[in-house]
Amino acid sequence: MATTAATQQQARAAELNVLARTQRSLWRDAWYRLIRNRAALVGLFIIGFVSLVAIFADFNLFGIHIRLAPYDPLLIKQNNQLMEPIWTRFFGSKFTDPAYIFGSDELGRDILSRLMYSSRVSLVIGVVPVTIVTTVGLLVGMTAGFFGGAVDDLLMRITDVVYAFPDLLFVIIIVATLRNTALGEAYDGLLIIFVGIAVVNWVGVARLVRGQVLSVKNREFVEAARAIGATPGRIMTKHIFPNILAPIIVTIAFAVPGAMLTESVLSFLGIGIRPPTPTWGVMINEGFVVFSTTPWPVLLPAICISVVLLAFTFVGDGLRDALDPRSKM
Amino acid sequence: MLRYIIRRLLLIIPTMFFVALITFSLAHLAPGSPFDKNPNRPMSQETIDRISRFYGVDQPVPIQFITYIGNVVRGDFGISFTRRTPVVDIIGQGIGTTFQLGLGALAFALAFSLPLGIISALKQNTIVDYASMLVATIGTTIPGFVTAIFLIYLFGVTLHLLPFVGWGSWQHMIMPMFVLGLAPGAFLTRITRASMLEAVRQDYVRTARSKGLGERAVVIGHALKNALIPVATIIGPATAGLITGSFIIESLFNVPGMGRLYVISIVQRDYPTIMATTLLYAFLIMIANLTVDIVYGVLDPRIKVR
Repeated sequence: MATTAATQQQARAAELNVLARTQRSLWRDAWYRLIRNRAALVGLFIIGFVSLVAIFADFNLFGIHIRLAPYDPLLIKQNNQLMEPIWTRFFGSKFTDPAYIFGSDELGRDILSRLMYSSRVSLVIGVVPVTIVTTVGLLVGMTAGFFGGAVDDLLMRITDVVYAFPDLLFVIIIVATLRNTALGEAYDGLLIIFVGIAVVNWVGVARLVRGQVLSVKNREFVEAARAIGATPGRIMTKHIFPNILAPIIVTIAFAVPGAMLTESVLSFLGIGIRPPTPTWGVMINEGFVVFSTTPWPVLLPAICISVVLLAFTFVGDGLRDALDPRSKM
Repeated sequence: MLRYIIRRLLLIIPTMFFVALITFSLAHLAPGSPFDKNPNRPMSQETIDRISRFYGVDQPVPIQFITYIGNVVRGDFGISFTRRTPVVDIIGQGIGTTFQLGLGALAFALAFSLPLGIISALKQNTIVDYASMLVATIGTTIPGFVTAIFLIYLFGVTLHLLPFVGWGSWQHMIMPMFVLGLAPGAFLTRITRASMLEAVRQDYVRTARSKGLGERAVVIGHALKNALIPVATIIGPATAGLITGSFIIESLFNVPGMGRLYVISIVQRDYPTIMATTLLYAFLIMIANLTVDIVYGVLDPRIKVR
């Protein structure tokens, strides 16, 4: 025991000795700090698991067909409504069926399959709008911060107006008013949610990027680059961008669950994804009618949302600590 | 200071104008109207024209907007499409309940977040600290309506302890206020802790200790007093959170407030009500932010207001 402790201590000392150990980049250092954070590691595993489930719920590409979901999530079976999950059998429930591991909903659809397909929507909602928001926010924010002038003024005026709306209120207005247009009906309402989230959130990213650029652009290394004749484009991409990346990564890590949350709230209020397409929010909305009879059609998606959102928060917190060890909160 | 306040108050006017413009344009971009032909209850063209004239929707959209702004300045928010009563009256019925819910939630949030944040800062890296940080993380992460579902299941459906539909008695108020206050409270806990950690390391706290003050006097009189300044600034965004949270929580618990009214009018496409509630929400948030900035300037004279 004592020797292991001693070796561990030695290893730790070697780790801390920056000069003696093999050289690592700042990013690799941050990565090690991240995976040493247990909560973040658990979060990463959960996100990985959910992504795999989402991809392989019904995977049919390159001639490979893998289908994890036991049923079609839209398949309605008469006489099989409101089955309870099989584990409730041990607590005296008479309404279980081994064919439905997680039970069935008020129309007799398999809850497990619906949960699996829901994770697909959540994943898409987490990835697509956040990519748009980040790209637009980066472009506008860097231009505004670097060149100032009219773009900068315009950005700040837009931010003032958008900040007067609470985020969610603005998304709800956009989604609700445009719901019956072609845009609102495309992809079961997915597209309008993308648009809503993107329109509301790019401003925050742009403002963050602008602030970061302002704090960096007069530092010596930028001046040095300018002195040796680097073009503005090169200064922005090669010198400023890598130095403002850390806070942007943290923002993205929190924007992904934020977008997922927005979708579930909208669907829960009945103005998000159109049923019968399953999402966790839609499932909660639909299951609420039978909540007093059997809680499972609502509880299970609620648990899924909670676990996934927590996983992203853990990773986001871990990233923030790893990328900027000084700002431990 | 006075000039600053006046300037900020004046800035509200153009912002409100743009909020109105955006909402109005969006509402009128949407195809169809609440008076669309319903195949089950056919209306003659004459009736539709008459109703359209009554609500003024037969005019071109820019004219409608100017008329609307003119009316709003005079305090007339129009007549609800679905209820046929003035929007001001409908909002008047709900706003009291919403304020009651919001203030209760804010009080609850402050009541648990401040002690929790202070204690976990004073006992940093102990089990108490980790536990309260875990609670705070869960509270900020899990959305209110999901927490509400778990609570309704536990206290409403299983234990039959609390009613979960309606408003009135204190039993009705417990769950909505708790759920609504949880997220801002959890966020405030994190801020209080961070700010308190910063404060206890300051020189003036060391001075207070070294001149022999008791621990209580040091913590409350010196550290906490300064640690609360950043906390005060968060109350603005927290109020915004309470407002947006309220329309989900009110819909969920069937609380007859402004939030539920807002969601219903969105589903029914009752534009006069949507416009009025949106404007009111935006106004409340701007006032909340302004108040915070002023309070901040008063609390911390080092901050120069511009």
